[in-house]
Amino acid sequence: MGWAWLIPALSFIAFPLIVAFGRFLPKRGAFIAIGAIAAGFVLFWVVMAGRVSAGATGSDVFNFDWFTVGSTTLRWGMIIDPLTVAMLGLVTLVALCIQVYSLGYMHGDPRFDLYFAEHSLFAASMLTLVLSSNLLLAYIAWELVGLCSYLLIGFWWERRSAAEAAKKAFVTTRIGDVGLLIGVFLLFFSTEPHTFDMVTIFHAIEAGEIGSGILTASALCIFFGAMGKSAQFPLHVWLPDAMEGPSPVSALIHAATMVAAGVFLVARLFPVFEAAPGTLVFVATIGLITTLAAGGMALVVTDLKRVLAYSTISHLGLMVLALGAGNVALAVTAAIFHLLMHGFAKALLFLGAGNVMHAMNGELDIRRMGGLRKVMPITAATFAVGSLSLGGIPVLAGFFSKDEMLNAVLHGGYPFFFTMFLIAAFISALYMARALFVVFGGELKKENEHLHEAVPSMTVPMVVLAALAAVAGFIAIPWTAQYGGFGTFLFFEQAERFHMNWGLAVGSTVIALGGFGLAWAIYIKGWLRAEAFIQAMPNVHRFFVNKMYMDDLYQWVINRGALVVAGFIAFFDRAVVNDVGVNGPANQVRASGWNLRYHVTGRVYNYALGIAVGAVAIALAWWILAF
Amino acid sequence: MIELYHLQLLSAILFALGVYGVLARKSAILILMSIELMLNAVNINMIGAAIFLDPNQIAGQVLAIFIITVAAAEVGLALAILLRLFRNRVTVNVDEIDIMKW
Repeated sequence: MGWAWLIPALSFIAFPLIVAFGRFLPKRGAFIAIGAIAAGFVLFWVVMAGRVSAGATGSDVFNFDWFTVGSTTLRWGMIIDPLTVAMLGLVTLVALCIQVYSLGYMHGDPRFDLYFAEHSLFAASMLTLVLSSNLLLAYIAWELVGLCSYLLIGFWWERRSAAEAAKKAFVTTRIGDVGLLIGVFLLFFSTEPHTFDMVTIFHAIEAGEIGSGILTASALCIFFGAMGKSAQFPLHVWLPDAMEGPSPVSALIHAATMVAAGVFLVARLFPVFEAAPGTLVFVATIGLITTLAAGGMALVVTDLKRVLAYSTISHLGLMVLALGAGNVALAVTAAIFHLLMHGFAKALLFLGAGNVMHAMNGELDIRRMGGLRKVMPITAATFAVGSLSLGGIPVLAGFFSKDEMLNAVLHGGYPFFFTMFLIAAFISALYMARALFVVFGGELKKENEHLHEAVPSMTVPMVVLAALAAVAGFIAIPWTAQYGGFGTFLFFEQAERFHMNWGLAVGSTVIALGGFGLAWAIYIKGWLRAEAFIQAMPNVHRFFVNKMYMDDLYQWVINRGALVVAGFIAFFDRAVVNDVGVNGPANQVRASGWNLRYHVTGRVYNYALGIAVGAVAIALAWWILAF
Repeated sequence: MIELYHLQLLSAILFALGVYGVLARKSAILILMSIELMLNAVNINMIGAAIFLDPNQIAGQVLAIFIITVAAAEVGLALAILLRLFRNRVTVNVDEIDIMKW
């Protein structure tokens, strides 16, 4: 398994190859990218087999020296434990499906090769982040992932809104990254000898070598970074705007992988969070606010991709809530499990949205859709599977993962969070059903009758993802005597065999069916009308339609704060540094020359006078000095 | 008796007269004549040094010969330039030669 670094390395070298040679190759070099990620997927199975045969729940660390500065040696290393294996599987599989889908979706785009190059770079960075056992390498990969997100959101940068959205995404996640960097350095400087290695830091924490104040501070700072990447409140504002990018990009980066990086980081560094009192409650609170806020916004937006974006934010909030409020022995398992299931289902939903967008020529307003199941049956079926899965309908994957999270929070010791989780589950079922029924249910509008289904290169990956979203949940269940369920494969501190909590299962099913039923009543049957709800709560409705005024708040802060400071600095640079500092001496020289020019009279005898006077002066000075 | 200071005084007076001529004359030829006067003044100084300061009484004389030679060569060149100037400007009045000014 020591060669597992090949998995990201293949995609890393695909990037410059495609950039350099893409335009000369058939299919513009897309097959290099797909080949690299497919090879990565195959290697993932080998790594998984290696991990299972070496003791499924152990972890192997491979460290390589990088360079030495003074007494500190910087290393980079990989850790192969169940968490790594799970994430490797998620990233390689979803990236593979989406790159195959992109063959059809991005067909004919003038920058086709650059798209696949950037995709490869993203996959490579994400895989590096997942494999890394060294905080510094993880941070580097984290930043690279953010860069690729910027490049891919702004892929159609000729459109002003796309360029602005890319900038917003990068700046917002960058704000979180400052927190991550501070947290990493706090941990680095609090260990003796200083180290970035995660395993060493965990041992130091267990041995009690790091003060609890430092631990709390670094945990909060690291979580701030996770908030940025995983779009938690209040750093969630970039994700809806990021829908300006192509749909496959939204599927990969903003549903399945990059936004998962924050949740993954918290899971990876869970010993830090567990040892720092109070941070987990903060984590859970942020997750809860995020879930409910995003859920509210998902219920009122009319742009299909934005509904899915807010749904992603909401589900990420659920994962963070589970991590924070769940029982420590169950939380990590549940959150990562949901990460995987959500990844499959949400990627699938975004690809479906991409199909709809492609067919309807860029139209995304769900009020113009309806009844699309009649013209796009495969898309409708897979979208339905994804929606039902995320809504928590048994026996699909999302049901199992949501139940795991509910179970974790139930045993976490915070009844408040558990209750709010149930409410959030209901809302998530409601908005998923709303998206499904409004777009694919109901009657087909006259102007949409000519629409057609997508090409096989686009529908086959969706079917694969749909199959996963349907049945992947069953890995939670112990099938053999040796396999005790997912909780015995990936866990924190102690393995938990799978126990079916029937009360919880029935309860969550009732909630999910309630959500779907309410949406059915409103959007399919028309027994209730959505307008009635809007009229009953006009202020709440307006609050959510305006995205909780967060964008306006940020813009106000920028206008009053950042731009004022920037204006002052610009003035200082122009008036002091340039006009006085740089131009000043030049002006002085010019002025003195202008005033001294009268000495150049052009008459030789004047110059001779100068020589005579000078000679006399030197002689006088010499005569005086000689005395 | 003639002392060293007599010769040096004579040399100084002639030199000063030469400087006055260079600075105050309008005609270029007169300026050249004044330069010659300065050079000859220096010659007298050299002879004085040879007579009174040198046991061999020879170094100053040698230097005087040098100065005469150099003066002759320099005057030749100067007159050539002056001739050129006259042919271009039809004047040797230095007051009127001032185009290389601000």
